[in-house]
Amino acid sequence: MYLEGVSKTLTETSVNGAAQAVEAVEKKAVYEHWKNWHASQISHHGKICCEIAREWITATDFSELNGDCVLTGPRWLRQKFNWGASTFPIYWCEAVRRKTLDCGALAALAHEIFTARGLKSYRVQLIQKFSSVATSQWTNSWGSCGEPLAWTKGDLIYHEGNAIDIGDRKIKVWDASAGWWVDSKPANGYGAVLAIRLSGLNLSAGESFHWGEQTIKACEWKEIC
Amino acid sequence: MKIYISGLYSGTNPQPGVGIARSIRTAYPQAKLVGVEYSNRCSGIHWQDFDEIWLQRPWDELNLETHAAEIKKVLDDGGLWISSIDLEIMWFAKVFPDGHPNLLTPPAGALRQVGKPAITAHEGLPVKIPTFVTTEISDWDLHAFCREHDWKVWLKGPYYEAARTRSWAEFEEKRSILSSAWGTEKLFLQAHVSGYEESITLAAYRGELLDCVRMRKRDLTELSKTWAGDVSEVEEEFLAPLREMIRRINWTGGAELEMVRDGDNQLWLLEVNPRFPAWIHGSTITGRNIPASLVAGATGIAPEESPVLAEEFTRVVMEIPVRPEYPLSPLPEPLGGRIGHSLKHPSGLVQFANRLNNLSVFDEGEESDGTASVFQAPRVPPSFIDDLGSLNITAMETPASLFLENTAAEYFEKAGALVEELSTDELRVTNAYSIKTNPDARLIKLALESGFLAETISLLEVKKAIEVGFKPEQIVLNGPAKWWRREILPEGKFYSIFCDSIEELDQVIEKVESGELQTEHLGVRLRTPNVVSRFGIPIDTPEVFERLIDAVQRIPKESKFAVHFHMASSNVGVGHWWHLFESILRWCSSIEALTGRLIEILDVGGGWFPEDLQKDSAGNFRKAIDLIPDFLPHVRQIISEPGKALAQPSMAVAMQILELRNAENSVAEAVVDGSIAELPMYFFYPHRILYQNMQSGDWKPLGRGKTKLLGRLCMEHDIVASNIELPETAQVGDILVFCDAGAYDRSMSYVFGRG
Repeated sequence: MYLEGVSKTLTETSVNGAAQAVEAVEKKAVYEHWKNWHASQISHHGKICCEIAREWITATDFSELNGDCVLTGPRWLRQKFNWGASTFPIYWCEAVRRKTLDCGALAALAHEIFTARGLKSYRVQLIQKFSSVATSQWTNSWGSCGEPLAWTKGDLIYHEGNAIDIGDRKIKVWDASAGWWVDSKPANGYGAVLAIRLSGLNLSAGESFHWGEQTIKACEWKEIC
Repeated sequence: MKIYISGLYSGTNPQPGVGIARSIRTAYPQAKLVGVEYSNRCSGIHWQDFDEIWLQRPWDELNLETHAAEIKKVLDDGGLWISSIDLEIMWFAKVFPDGHPNLLTPPAGALRQVGKPAITAHEGLPVKIPTFVTTEISDWDLHAFCREHDWKVWLKGPYYEAARTRSWAEFEEKRSILSSAWGTEKLFLQAHVSGYEESITLAAYRGELLDCVRMRKRDLTELSKTWAGDVSEVEEEFLAPLREMIRRINWTGGAELEMVRDGDNQLWLLEVNPRFPAWIHGSTITGRNIPASLVAGATGIAPEESPVLAEEFTRVVMEIPVRPEYPLSPLPEPLGGRIGHSLKHPSGLVQFANRLNNLSVFDEGEESDGTASVFQAPRVPPSFIDDLGSLNITAMETPASLFLENTAAEYFEKAGALVEELSTDELRVTNAYSIKTNPDARLIKLALESGFLAETISLLEVKKAIEVGFKPEQIVLNGPAKWWRREILPEGKFYSIFCDSIEELDQVIEKVESGELQTEHLGVRLRTPNVVSRFGIPIDTPEVFERLIDAVQRIPKESKFAVHFHMASSNVGVGHWWHLFESILRWCSSIEALTGRLIEILDVGGGWFPEDLQKDSAGNFRKAIDLIPDFLPHVRQIISEPGKALAQPSMAVAMQILELRNAENSVAEAVVDGSIAELPMYFFYPHRILYQNMQSGDWKPLGRGKTKLLGRLCMEHDIVASNIELPETAQVGDILVFCDAGAYDRSMSYVFGRG
């Protein structure tokens, strides 16, 4: 398990030498950095401009659903918006006009959509493993002049999605940026989910859910692998 | 141990033979594996795991009796046979009706119970079967099935192949191809189920389930075949009834249950293949060697353990050496002037299917003389026959348009009764007759007398409505170019005007404010996202939506606000139409909330088929009326436009047979004096055809057969019916009446080839 691995390595530091200690501290630091991040939000000007945008998103979703099951992921969002850098705060009236949105903005829109469909939707934060080649590419393509991105560290990334309550305390996890349901089966390779946290105003601390074989407590990071 | 494995085709839609060989080689390194194929073009014959290749002649030239005797000898000598070929397995069931201890394929009784599409064996499994119909029902009913399922349907062959049919023209084309390929008209249409595909593959011997796994597809080929997948245990809730099913039907051999899991987690069983799937070695990679368990079950010889290499598998394309004893054949010459080399089904499987058809292998022993028609003729309302009886058609110059007066009156009356029934104290439902559907004055008059409004798309149509007796305050003006011939704009106040664009709305607002134009209701036609249409205001971008909100706020207060949407349910499907209706309610609710303008009229255009409007077995109309107050509490009137549903059955076209052309002792083609100029909607839906017996005068609906009805025009595509069954008594001069020709067939008919 990723987080267990971190603490285990830390305790072994004095025994196993400096290299391991550095790796462990780095991983711990990465985790600590994202640990207190909040799920992204879309802001509202409190005016008609943002209300028009919000109504447009939810009405469009119903049209795009095409009469399918409400548990169908809103794949159309990724047809409408490319995945890429967003700046925050971002307002509703801006977000719907952007050509590109990041995972946080897309997940925030998806949350609004799932909720409008009458589903219980929660926000999900993920730590995923990719590769240093991938994170290096993102660093360059996201236009940060080669500066490290806050959401990447080594081969790890911070990511956002949505959890949908499907009854019996079970959830499905939707990745609005990828347009797919995230596999709950633990994996430890390219794209694997290493840790997950559910959050939302409609969640009480201590509530727990089943995601495949995993049990996830609300508002707490859960190591998957 | 000697194991024969047949079915080694290894193209992009492969047979499982090579995968079976790889798995068995893993478990039984010393076994002698004999690959059986019926074409040297199947590249699997070169796979290294085969110790021998038993190459037969292709199925179309194979002597089946000799081959059966040879296989029996192989089995009697102790060889095992695992088949990967569905048709071969069906043939085995005929050759070995009681099975053979060494033949690892299902017996006839078991095969019958997994026959698609019904798959009767599925009882007890936690699955559903997607809705289906046989193509032996009438074309009229097949069209109804397609509409009911929103044209998300698959036309499936009896053994293999499925084709999506998005329109009637596509359906007819695919039906012709599949019927011709498989030598049978017994195809079926099945409703599509959206979801993720997964399979269970299993091995069983004499009714005992030996092993099984679940596989979820994770990557697909262009034909939606598995390219990668993950393998897991079958959960007990499925396993227990599966074990029971296998015992009940006494299964032997491999099998694959192909399923779709929908958004509600419901599994839909598409088919049960009587063999291992092509991805079978993917399971072995995960440590679950299902073919080995079959061999172990049949022989009692324990296999070597298959190592767990991963939980997931994928495919690659690889080149392998060709066996020198089977050098590659040259490519066939392309047909003159054609592009590409035809290499489909190199082993002659399609021809084999035809041979098996002739041997009645699929009919449980019933011999067929191949002549009796299995097709149902369409049902025709009695009023059609009554109306035809009152017309002296033989005295008419054909092709002739026939007005079915009583039928028309009956349909208008029913439409009137329906809106009465649906209306409530708070919400009035009103019909509007769409004049463009058929501008025949008799129909417009019926509409007027039945309390309809007139729906028009031009000022010329307005003029026609007024000539028949409508007043401007009973007229709805719609369409993209309604101000064409502005000089004939009548005096008076329209009932409603719906603008097709924001630009038009701006202009109309200006004219209403200046008093140049009067209308009780002013509104917009909306085009919701995900709809392919050229009409209405496209609210699929936030920019246009915001402009619309701004424009609606500027509509003069003295005009009541209204919204119109129109989609032909016959084109998009009935279910989809009702989804669009609910979608428009949501958009309207948003517009009300954002503009503060209350919507008082909702005008919904339908493009309904008569049956869809009248049947409404789901009570959709009532549900819709009940739903409206939840979204739009201020709507006081719904305008319904059932023009097509009323006009279509109200007219028919009479044609006379000019010439009968025979081939193989039957009428292959008949030339008629009608044409697609009188029946322009021929490509969009089937028309019911009535034939009059000249002796008795009786009218008989024609079913499907082998005769083509050629129109009189010198146009290649002037074929007014592709496959009908003409009575043996048919002769030159006989009359055929094409029903259901009163809507756009009439209004869009044209003069052609008349000098």
